[in-house]
Amino acid sequence: MKLLNKIDKRYVLTLIICIFVALLCGALIMLVTGFNPIKAYQTIITGALGRPRLIGNTLEKFMTLCLLGLATAIGAKGGLFNVGGEGQLFVGALISTMVGLQLSSLPAPLVILIAFICAIVVGGFYAWIPAMLKVKLNVSEVITTIMLNTVAIKVTTYLVNGPWCSDLVSVSKGTDYLPDSLRLTKLISASNLSTSFIVGAVFTFLIWYFMKMTTVGLQLKLTGENARFAKFSGLKSDKIMVGSMVASGAICGFVGMTLVYGYNGQMVDTISTEFYFDGMLVAMIMNYNPVGIIIMSGFFAILNTGATMIDMTMGISTQIYDIIFSILIFLMAANKGFVEWFAARKMKKQARAIAKEKAGKESI
Amino acid sequence: MWDQIVSLFSIGLFQNTIRNATPVILAALGGLFTEHAGIMNIGMEGMILTGAFVAVVFSFTFASAPIGVLCAILIGILIGLFFALFVVKLKSDEFIIGMTLNTFAAGVTVYLLRSVFHQTGSWVSKDIKGLPAIDIPIIKDIPVIGDIFSGYSIFVYISWLLVIAVWVFLYRTPYGFWMRASGEHPKALETAGIDPVKMKVLASVLCGIFCGMAGAHLSLGYLNCFTEGMSASRGFIAFACVVFGMANPPKVFGAAILFGFLQALGIRLQSVGIPSDLTEAVPYLATVLMLVYITVMGANKKRNRAKKAMAVEAEAAEQ
Repeated sequence: MKLLNKIDKRYVLTLIICIFVALLCGALIMLVTGFNPIKAYQTIITGALGRPRLIGNTLEKFMTLCLLGLATAIGAKGGLFNVGGEGQLFVGALISTMVGLQLSSLPAPLVILIAFICAIVVGGFYAWIPAMLKVKLNVSEVITTIMLNTVAIKVTTYLVNGPWCSDLVSVSKGTDYLPDSLRLTKLISASNLSTSFIVGAVFTFLIWYFMKMTTVGLQLKLTGENARFAKFSGLKSDKIMVGSMVASGAICGFVGMTLVYGYNGQMVDTISTEFYFDGMLVAMIMNYNPVGIIIMSGFFAILNTGATMIDMTMGISTQIYDIIFSILIFLMAANKGFVEWFAARKMKKQARAIAKEKAGKESI
Repeated sequence: MWDQIVSLFSIGLFQNTIRNATPVILAALGGLFTEHAGIMNIGMEGMILTGAFVAVVFSFTFASAPIGVLCAILIGILIGLFFALFVVKLKSDEFIIGMTLNTFAAGVTVYLLRSVFHQTGSWVSKDIKGLPAIDIPIIKDIPVIGDIFSGYSIFVYISWLLVIAVWVFLYRTPYGFWMRASGEHPKALETAGIDPVKMKVLASVLCGIFCGMAGAHLSLGYLNCFTEGMSASRGFIAFACVVFGMANPPKVFGAAILFGFLQALGIRLQSVGIPSDLTEAVPYLATVLMLVYITVMGANKKRNRAKKAMAVEAEAAEQ
């Protein structure tokens, strides 16, 4: 109950209005292009939650979005804006796959543990580079992380289709498949949902706990809000900034590993199709609030999984998800501006009315 | 070995360099306006993609390339206004809007392509009229130079002229001066009686136009088709060029040519067995290094200036 009280009611209201408008826009687009929007939205719901297998897929998508969103939030709370999660995800996925393939003779739990450690270390390291450049040399981390994304993706593309490409004829693209013993156990059979969901949930809880309940979270917040002030108050703000960025990268690396070990089974150059940016935008419109990120990730996961279903059954291309998603982000990003705009207009009107009144009195 | 290296540098390599560089040059020149107006514009990717799509759609419907180009430019103006509405008027985060613009453009173009035009992957049709190749009268007859510098679609030449035009605009006209001021010191510009908001809107509209042209060139310039995700991160390369060229038109042009060359070289190197993915990664890595260099140099300059000023002050105090 206490938690509910803390949530800004006005923000929730605008969010609901924005979601409604975005869905309405999506419906209009479907209507104009000759589809039945009501049936489409029904199919989205049944396509995302209708059967256990589908619920599993939705939950998997939810965890991916949620963790990536939280990764952005951690970096942002520490004052650094991590746009490079996509690259960190790729290097994490790549390294964990290679570890799995090279060490497959060792006992499975050990291999998975090593792969996990490698994924978070490498992901973290890939975030450490721009963080150090920012802290030591004051190089904009936004641009460096954008650029490093593409570097990671291009190099991975080269490796998985070049030297590390599978020799098997049955594999058309990417590395060899991981042996079955290394694949994470499915929580719901035939779905994408694996035990990585549990680890992800633990991660999510820990992140929320650290950010809200511990001094570490407070230090992070202080540094993020005003790094110089935090420095003068005796906090090691440089270390905190770098640390938050590395943590952010480590989570992205972990997500990369779950994508391979959880359901894909091999590393391909399309392991993630800009998943990180979806998570990042969700985090940004929710003002990096962990609870908000979790809720919105759920909403988008349903929409995303459902969109595959309407593609299959109704022929509406899955891109309708991207369209509704981006309209919602546009609306949320503009919401503060709208409020200010209306307030300014209202004030102008009032001022004009007062001026008129005064002028009227004087003329009498 | 030497023969192999020499054989790489064929006329085709330079032709491809120019072909690859042109959309990037156009978009990067557009990005210069927003950069100078103090807006970090990473939405160029989406602007180019929309321009390419609209150009193809209208070239197809009216069976005329000029109408396609015109519509691409018009949609560029609209997107520029849209971008400005959010970023300048409503003061939304430019990063969110740019990023979302990219997602939106990718979504809408593919959605329309699949659900309205019933094409998946790429859209090739005889009715998509492309821009004709144009030969430059005298230059085309000079042996090697004629092959390298002549015989492209009109936008290639336009992009070269625009480099000069943009430079003149930014550094030799009052509008350019105001635009730069709106980014560097909007308050000062306001005091001088010019509305910085208007200059920022103008900058993003110009950027939209340039990106629209880049898109039109991409889809109608030599292939005459539209492919899903056709912009292929050229918007980001353009953004990198602006950073790499320190927001100076000739330098940005140079950066775009360099990146275009690397891309063309990558394709050539594939025949020798060096994969193009690695060469394609080079521009991005180079931009990171360049950014570090610029930042460090900038900081050094500031420090030196401060030192000098302190020395002058100390001297004055002594006297």
